[in-house]
Amino acid sequence: MTPAPEPELREALLAAVPSLRAFAISLSGQVDRADDLVQDTLLRALANLHRFEPGTNLNAWLFTILRNLFHSEYRKRRREVEDPDGSYAGRLKVQPEQGSHLDFEDFRSALAKLPADQREALLLVGASGFSYEEAAHICGCAVGTIKSRVNRARFRLASLLNVEDIEDLGPDSMTRAALQG
Amino acid sequence: MKMTVEKGNKLARTIVDTSVNDKLATDPKLDSGSQKRIGDQLRAMYDELMQQPVPDRFKELLEQLDKKNGEKEGSQ
Repeated sequence: MTPAPEPELREALLAAVPSLRAFAISLSGQVDRADDLVQDTLLRALANLHRFEPGTNLNAWLFTILRNLFHSEYRKRRREVEDPDGSYAGRLKVQPEQGSHLDFEDFRSALAKLPADQREALLLVGASGFSYEEAAHICGCAVGTIKSRVNRARFRLASLLNVEDIEDLGPDSMTRAALQG
Repeated sequence: MKMTVEKGNKLARTIVDTSVNDKLATDPKLDSGSQKRIGDQLRAMYDELMQQPVPDRFKELLEQLDKKNGEKEGSQ
């Protein structure tokens, strides 16, 4: 009776694309690869629509799919690295973006230095707007694990970006400390 | 043989030390100002990505699937 996917569902999937892309790009560091991941995520979601419980968070479900695809692909690629044909190294050098991201160059390279589990935890909680509980569900781990990963990610970023040094040198650090106390 | 035993003991000590360090290093405290700055930068970078136009391939993909499903429905 109801044609599937319904127009609303198509709209909902399309509406999820910007946040899926932002997550995939930040996770993988490569736009081309991120777009492939998003496409695979949409295809897998459509093929498994019967598993989605209506009324639950569609975005969280899509993020779970994307994250799982990213990790299984990552494992595959690690095996590829052992192949001596150099194709992986060649792909790593590809510069996927031009211009617009220069402002965030330092931040992005610091983010890329984080272990993958910390990076994804920080992205889910600090940028994608998921709660610790939702992030734990997406990553298939305990809430405490997510909290600890987010903490460590922030701490590592702060030291990589010398954020603390800036604050120490800042003229208003005393004022802020007084206000906070 | 003696060497192996000594090595074993040293290893055991190292493991104990590491686990203590791990516990201490598990949740380093970051002051709220630094935490805010990291959060602001992260969201600014993310917002820029979110505002990028959706590539046509995704619209086309979903439209194609609509058509395919429509055909399936019709043939049944």
